[in-house]
Amino acid sequence: MSTALKVRLEQLLAQFEGARVTRKNARRIRVDVGSDALPGLLELLQGHASYVHLSAISCIDWIEAQQFELVYHLWSYETRTLVSAHTRIAREPGVYLSVYDLYRPAAFFERDIHEMFGVYFEGSPDMEKFILTEWDGPPPMRKDFDSEAFVNQTFSWEQYRPQWLKDLEEEGGGISIRPEDIRP
Amino acid sequence: MSTLDQIPVRHEARAAEPQPRGRNPFANVFDELMNFARSRSMFMLHYCTGCGAIELPPAMTSRFDMERLGIQPMVTPRQADILLITGYVSIKTLKRVILTYEQMPSPKYVIGICSCTVNGGMYWQSYATAKVLRDYMPVDMYIAGCMPRPEAVITGLRQLMDDIKSGRADAWKKYYQQYDHYLGNQQKLFGDHWQTPTDIIAEAKHYQLITEQTLGKHTALLEQHQKPLEPLEMRLKHKDHVLP
Repeated sequence: MSTALKVRLEQLLAQFEGARVTRKNARRIRVDVGSDALPGLLELLQGHASYVHLSAISCIDWIEAQQFELVYHLWSYETRTLVSAHTRIAREPGVYLSVYDLYRPAAFFERDIHEMFGVYFEGSPDMEKFILTEWDGPPPMRKDFDSEAFVNQTFSWEQYRPQWLKDLEEEGGGISIRPEDIRP
Repeated sequence: MSTLDQIPVRHEARAAEPQPRGRNPFANVFDELMNFARSRSMFMLHYCTGCGAIELPPAMTSRFDMERLGIQPMVTPRQADILLITGYVSIKTLKRVILTYEQMPSPKYVIGICSCTVNGGMYWQSYATAKVLRDYMPVDMYIAGCMPRPEAVITGLRQLMDDIKSGRADAWKKYYQQYDHYLGNQQKLFGDHWQTPTDIIAEAKHYQLITEQTLGKHTALLEQHQKPLEPLEMRLKHKDHVLP
């Protein structure tokens, strides 16, 4: 059964227009598709190639390209292979389609990505705060949010300079790279 | 005898000034005895944050056996003496930690375990974790390490026992004496509307620990925003649930 499914997957990916298929290893396949074709690809994979389990949706902020990369990790219990479907959307306005109608767990993943990156998923049932319920700053996983600057502005530091550290520094040792040295 | 006024009160007894401690020759004797007893029966609140909590089960159970020192886990803050902060405290958790700390009866002792409670530790860059625990509540002792092994935890607890016995562990008084400072730091992090159900100023009056640093501009801000506490609504059955 699984052999037939594997063949089916090959045919399906070969026929799908605009899909770039990379084989990571025997059980991992990476597919790059355009953002308009991704929901169609997921529907085909779910309906015709037994990829019924959406493990996770991850998001990467490519700030230089002004894009968000969304990765849909799909698992098949029949063929025991993982397909990662990658797509890129524009960083502004950062709106994309929900896949909640295909995969119910997507609701949580999309809510999480909305909270951490500010990507809005149209059609997702709930885009409210998920974990950061008491946070009213910008989405913290975006690359343009400077966590360190926020920390330095919000918190004070313990002035901890014990004698042994001073002794070490006198001998030329101590902390070799300070955080402020590597900051641009 | 239907009103309070009609209840006979012995006025001469009430009018008597409380004796200053120093004049009573036995006060110090009892204090020492009480400190000794206190140090030998500490209830540790079972509240764990971060990763250092993983070192507590071996410290508590048969391998290192905290109970031989008289230290036991306790499930509620109202019956606990020590609060162990075992690792990083996120801002959301810090609110709960402060609520918990304020609910504990005095004298209470706080131990900060792991580097994260000292200075943020490996999460120093994180937007979500509070860095210096000492800013928000008085800490009796830090046990540094990432994470400290049970031996270090036991050693730290033994040190705390010695401090209690000799009367040095009195950081809890600082919370009342310098409440304005701690409240100011809390308000800076949680916003001006921060309010806890415990009335710290009244408690400070009760313990006679009010100083000029207890009240200040931050407590004035608290009084401005303070909402009176309301009792929780008691409902015998859920509104949709119909009893058979």
